[in-house]
Amino acid sequence: MSPVYLDKLTKIYPNGYEAVHDFDLEVKDGELMVLVGPSGCGKTTVMRMVAGLERITRGTLRFDDKVMNDVSPKDRDIAMVFQNYALYPHMTVGENIGFALSMRKLPKSEVRKKVKETAEILGLEEWIDRKPGQLSGGQRQRVAMGRAIVREPKVFLMDEPLSNLDAKLRVQMRAEVTRIQRRVGVSTIYVTHDQVEAMTMGDRVAVMRDGHLQQCAKPQEVYDNPVNIFVAGFMGSPSMNLFEATLNENADVLTLGSQTLKLPASVLALKPALKKYANSRVVVGIRPESLNAPGPQTQKGDDDVSLEGEVDLVEALGSELLVHFSTDAVRVEAEGAVSEDAEGLDAGLIAQRGAGVARVEPGAQVTLGGKTTFSLNPSRLYFFDSSTGLSIVE
Amino acid sequence: MKIFNRLWTKTLGFIVLLAFTAFFIVPVIWLLLAPTKTDHQLIFGNPFSFGSFHNLAHAIRVTFTYQDYALLTWVKNSAIYSFGGIAIALVASIPAGYALAFTNFIGRRTLLGITLFVMIMPATALVLPLFLEANAVHAIGSPISVILPFSFFPFGVYLSYIFYSSSVPRDLLNAARIDGCNEWNVFRKIALPLARPVVALVAFFAFVANWNNFFLPFVMLPSNSNYPLPIGLQDLLSSTPAFNPGIGGDVPILRPELAVATIVAMAPVLIVFLFAQRSLVSGMLAGATKE
Repeated sequence: MSPVYLDKLTKIYPNGYEAVHDFDLEVKDGELMVLVGPSGCGKTTVMRMVAGLERITRGTLRFDDKVMNDVSPKDRDIAMVFQNYALYPHMTVGENIGFALSMRKLPKSEVRKKVKETAEILGLEEWIDRKPGQLSGGQRQRVAMGRAIVREPKVFLMDEPLSNLDAKLRVQMRAEVTRIQRRVGVSTIYVTHDQVEAMTMGDRVAVMRDGHLQQCAKPQEVYDNPVNIFVAGFMGSPSMNLFEATLNENADVLTLGSQTLKLPASVLALKPALKKYANSRVVVGIRPESLNAPGPQTQKGDDDVSLEGEVDLVEALGSELLVHFSTDAVRVEAEGAVSEDAEGLDAGLIAQRGAGVARVEPGAQVTLGGKTTFSLNPSRLYFFDSSTGLSIVE
Repeated sequence: MKIFNRLWTKTLGFIVLLAFTAFFIVPVIWLLLAPTKTDHQLIFGNPFSFGSFHNLAHAIRVTFTYQDYALLTWVKNSAIYSFGGIAIALVASIPAGYALAFTNFIGRRTLLGITLFVMIMPATALVLPLFLEANAVHAIGSPISVILPFSFFPFGVYLSYIFYSSSVPRDLLNAARIDGCNEWNVFRKIALPLARPVVALVAFFAFVANWNNFFLPFVMLPSNSNYPLPIGLQDLLSSTPAFNPGIGGDVPILRPELAVATIVAMAPVLIVFLFAQRSLVSGMLAGATKE
């Protein structure tokens, strides 16, 4: 067990491609740090540099106070869970779990004892003599976990360990992995492209994009106070609605397409920097759950403003409705934040038709094809600089 | 009508298959029955008749006692040359394929290309240069002059390369590295055990090629006592009155005896195949599916 420090870690491939740029991160002792970002953002490269499977071009990697840059993977005392599990197909479950221990020349009796304990923790006792090929996806996943925890390593590395599982099992294993990590208390770096995993599992979350660290904080903090449009759009499902808007000369009326939203003085008091954007463009963000549709349980606040939209689609999830609507405002999307295949579009912001999503209670009155007026507390609006994409906070 | 059509197609297919089976199996049956007959019966009798066990015993005795059990010496020589060649071929080709699949070094592509090139080059084309080489180091007539060329098996390198690059995920090796293996242990504990079917396949193909090789030992080994089976058989053939009427020994080698020798020559390949069959099939399927 030891904290991990990444100091200006940079990876440049021989072809000149810079996969990771000046990446700073501190993983505290026993912490579960989730690295999250769209595919190709460099998160796996960061993990592989920590593992020693990828050479570090520049920067320093330390476990505790020991520089690890040139230490070979076998001497780093790390354990890794791979996306495809990477179980040794010719060995039994027991041999897979005990392999690292026997490589460390532990006495056979001790290896057997530890393997047994680990198998018990993971509920794998009955499968201990099976080969990985005879196991289901979830069981293989657990063997891969077992192989990692039996080592009692300094650091755990997990590379999208749940992405090969079906949805239900993924939710179940999510909790299980977190539980095991808490139990063994080993500093962990967990890589995923799934922001739900990031939100639910991480003690802290580091959001990455194009090899750059965007924000590193507690999940709720990242969700509540995203530093820029990318993080705002990436964290949360459905993702935040982002529209182009203009502020009037007093910075207290927001124009979205043909609609105007009156900002109360409290919003300006909270974010005085908005004044600087008077008479200019900003990007406004609205979380889907901040929008309320008229319904029996809807309570309208005094300062609430209205946003009208035409309902295109209603997805009933039982506990809530996802209402897809369109407005005449210009929708903004941070590149790569929502769609995995948004590559090839111009950097920064992509404008789309003014579509949005609202997450409302199941009893809400919305009619497909009709107009609905959503109410919204303006203090829950997010504002971003439309040229830099940075959040306007103060 | 449709059912009738299908039945008709099936019957036709069956007949075609049967004809092909007969075409290939008839000579084998003839060969297996040949030692039970006398030379006269073999030529004038019914080709599929069984002679007698007495004749069989006689043929076996004559074949084996020929030139003071020369046949056994040839079998022994063949085994030494074949297995010696296989051993070196395996030790060289499996790691070579592994290295070609997983490491990046200057000239890797060129090396792969050369491997492919020499693989399709007929082995006989190299015999004369090899002879000159062996002659230069005074190795003519020694087992090494046959074993070393036998161990040159680019097909094995290629097979091993294909297997490793298509069926073994890199992460599996990385997992072993993280689990504490050095590069040698990654190969020995993970990569090599996984390649068992390929090892069997390479060994089998090398064995067949070595066991049946005629021209190379024919050129390299001048003395009768060093002959492997194929050259021994040729020696046997040349002392048969039927093929070489000038020769008449006290106990002549006739066609039934030749048949015995032929069966002795092909039996090992058959036995090795039967034992290796399971691994061979999975080896040939290796890479077909990906986990």
